[in-house]
Amino acid sequence: MISAAVPRRLKLSRELVLLAILVALVIALSLMSPVFLTISNFLNTSRFFVEIGLVALGMTLIIITGGIDLSVGAGLGLVSVALGFTFKAGLPLPLALFLGVGVGLAGGYFNSLFITKLDLHPLVVTLGTLALYRGLALGLSRADAVSNFPGWFAYFGQFYLGAVPGQLIVFIVAVAIVWVLLARTRYGRYVYAIGNNEQAAHFSGVPVARVKTALYVGTGLLVALAAIIYTSRVSTARADSGTGLELDVISAVVLGGASIYGGSGTIAGTVLGVVIIATLRNGLTLAAVATTYQVLILGLLLIVAVFLNEFFRKTEE
Amino acid sequence: MPAGVRTLLLRPEAPALIFLVLLAIVLAFTAEGFLDPANLEDNIARVVVLGVIALGVNQVVLSGEIDISVGSMLGLCAFAVGAVGESQGGLILPLLAGIGTGVVAGSVNGALVTLGRIPSIIVTLGMLYALRGMILVITGGRWITNIPSDTRALGLQSVAGVSVPVIILVVLLVVVELISRNSTWGRNVFAVGGNRRAARFAGLSAGRTRFLAFVLVGVLTGIAAAIYVGRAGGVQTNAGQGLELQVVAAVVVGGTSISGGRGSSVAAITGAVLIGVILNGLVLLDVPAEWQSAMLGALILLAISTDALRRRLLREQPS
Repeated sequence: MISAAVPRRLKLSRELVLLAILVALVIALSLMSPVFLTISNFLNTSRFFVEIGLVALGMTLIIITGGIDLSVGAGLGLVSVALGFTFKAGLPLPLALFLGVGVGLAGGYFNSLFITKLDLHPLVVTLGTLALYRGLALGLSRADAVSNFPGWFAYFGQFYLGAVPGQLIVFIVAVAIVWVLLARTRYGRYVYAIGNNEQAAHFSGVPVARVKTALYVGTGLLVALAAIIYTSRVSTARADSGTGLELDVISAVVLGGASIYGGSGTIAGTVLGVVIIATLRNGLTLAAVATTYQVLILGLLLIVAVFLNEFFRKTEE
Repeated sequence: MPAGVRTLLLRPEAPALIFLVLLAIVLAFTAEGFLDPANLEDNIARVVVLGVIALGVNQVVLSGEIDISVGSMLGLCAFAVGAVGESQGGLILPLLAGIGTGVVAGSVNGALVTLGRIPSIIVTLGMLYALRGMILVITGGRWITNIPSDTRALGLQSVAGVSVPVIILVVLLVVVELISRNSTWGRNVFAVGGNRRAARFAGLSAGRTRFLAFVLVGVLTGIAAAIYVGRAGGVQTNAGQGLELQVVAAVVVGGTSISGGRGSSVAAITGAVLIGVILNGLVLLDVPAEWQSAMLGALILLAISTDALRRRLLREQPS
């Protein structure tokens, strides 16, 4: 059947299409700015996309199950404030970091409680926790900032191994772990099964609630990691850290080919999506395009990406 | 369960109304100045912008979708009102400019959701940022400050001692509720939101119904923008920022089910008033403004949990 041969080619080319977009983007941007196409600029860019990338890994799995988490940006702000302000209050920094991780995990668990126990849609739940976490961060910090961290804290966000930023290594390790988890373990199969048909998965013995809880808690952990790296990179803990992060993350994931309706998506696609968005942001900044245009472009990009995705998927089917 | 209690529980806005009355009584005793006419007037006026937009978003939620782009949409409409008011003066032209801008933005939302088949949360999240970006691009960060007073009429004037915004809110509430209860489109909204497949099999156009709901949000946001400009007297580039959360909170706290098909315009307005009273109470009780967002979040979570528990209690099928 011809119609069966076409989808296979299309499926193979999905990541290739993304790569082609990336190459085109790189060429276009290097024409706009002479600094763009240099190794040092690429390594420098990677310092900025690691936070988006880490969170995008968790978001990919959540979106594959048909869920979504809008609270990640607010969660990053809350973790940043939690570790910064307990440190300011006298808690030793290592303990404050653990506390931050705890807050990230707790935030994810709190999301999952509403989603699994009350069977509420993740969208509304995380819209609520977005306001709650950001509000807690603002309230606890009283809209103030902490910045007098000890020197060693800079390691998390400003460390270089040779010319390679430390957080890039963290990201690569995280990508490897989540990739193995999703593509090579039973847990990964469960994630796809839930996304394709939650009820069927439940009746087939998939522990749906447990898998979902683990996903949101795991994403909370990644948010905490991203928050530590971010706070260290800018050496400031502030309540508005991570504002709009959810837009970058969700855009990267759907750009990478994950269906917003659940059931499909890959880590490779997400990583490509993250790199494309980071490249675009970095390139636009270097080409002196104002951040206001960047927000406009990213918002439109998100809509176009989802549209193209579902369009491609329909041709595949 | 006794039939009376059951009927009471079934009314979507009943819990919010009871809570609102209790809260008002508590605040009347604890918060000094709550019952002052000036404070009440201020309270109501602040609720109007929120309430008018919530009336529209309520219809979108009833139809089983969501619209979180209204914060930026209000900003853009306010700029249209302000800019036309600044150059042309008068009331009608700026108002039409605001409504027109809202209709265009709402149509884009509706078309992407129904024709593009993109989930409304993604469309309106993207539009939330795209429209805010557009405000900054169009204005170049410039604020509008000197708006003539006849353009500000909707926010400033009062008729027979009642301020015009309040009159507008009440009129719109009655109009939207009548449309919702009695027009074909209004009934279709409930049908599509309750069970889209069943509605489609019954021959209703789910696409057209939801598209019009998004357009209605645009119309009402345009009107709200004229009131907003009238009260504020100027437009900043961050106008309406974060309003989308308050609007969604108003709709679900009021009692409209987030999964669609259940609710009423009265619920949306009850929710809007409740949120206005809570925010006002926080100020009067000297709670720092930084806690507002946390309160809103907690309220949304409380409301949707109650909704879920009530559904379970009444053994309704969650859709």
